[in-house]
Amino acid sequence: MDNKEKNVEHTSTNEHISGYTEHFGTWAALILLTLMTVFISIFGADLRTLTVATALLIATVKALTVALYYMHLKYEPKIYKVWMIVVMALFLFFLFMVILDYLTR
Amino acid sequence: MDNSHTFVLPNSGHNFDAKASKMGMWLFLFTELLLFGGLFLVYMIYRYLNQDAFLLASYELNVWLGTINTIILLTSSMTIAMAITALQKGNSKLAITLSWLTILAALGFLVIKYFEWSGKFEHGLFPGMEHFNAIPLGERLYFYLYFFMTGLHALHVIVGAVFIAIVIRLIKKGKINKDRYSLLENSGLYWHLVDLIWIYLFPLFYLIH
Repeated sequence: MDNKEKNVEHTSTNEHISGYTEHFGTWAALILLTLMTVFISIFGADLRTLTVATALLIATVKALTVALYYMHLKYEPKIYKVWMIVVMALFLFFLFMVILDYLTR
Repeated sequence: MDNSHTFVLPNSGHNFDAKASKMGMWLFLFTELLLFGGLFLVYMIYRYLNQDAFLLASYELNVWLGTINTIILLTSSMTIAMAITALQKGNSKLAITLSWLTILAALGFLVIKYFEWSGKFEHGLFPGMEHFNAIPLGERLYFYLYFFMTGLHALHVIVGAVFIAIVIRLIKKGKINKDRYSLLENSGLYWHLVDLIWIYLFPLFYLIH
């Protein structure tokens, strides 16, 4: 949004441009996390509950990476962060209510 | 081509607001998140109630095919993100090439998905088939969810690829250019969402064991 950083390129409409190297670095990190989650799943078969938690944790790290860098959220105005928090809170609320329902039956 | 800076009368129907366009796309993506979120909720409950059956049923899937498809989608996410970078820098030729690569990856993903699904058909594991009706309820629930969620996801892959194809056409016509790239950007956002959903589908269906 702002032109304060000198090395960062901007579009004709003054939007931040993510560089090719940044996209490639993001890709490398995502591939690494994918291989990690596959190997943990194959070699950690004895620790079932632990692997489910790890798999979901790694998936969430990957999802955040995609959202922040590929989907450009890191460089968007603050209102996007507010939206993300509201939507996630809404979903977690649904989740919580359903879990509560099942646990109290 | 440079008519983006000319004055247009407010509410004349020719207004263009890139920021609002992107915000609208994000609002739509949030509804998509809640659509798949609901399905993940169903998955979570049935898996909790049928843990062993889900584990057993998941052995029918091929982890390596799932891994390859994950890598394909992650790579296509990179190419479409780079296509946006290229167009913003004014290199529309490179943007078109990278968009084509993304469509190619989408096709690759669908081909692998086709082989996976037809493998399940051969084993009679599609809902309604004779063998399917004979397996325990928990495993049937797993396959109901597997076919519905990956099917809905594949539908999104097809729609995303069509969006990108339309965008390539418009870049060639000059309607999408470095001053006006919202359609490419929004198609890219849609494509990343497809990737994002697969990031969760992959461990939940393929990596249970």
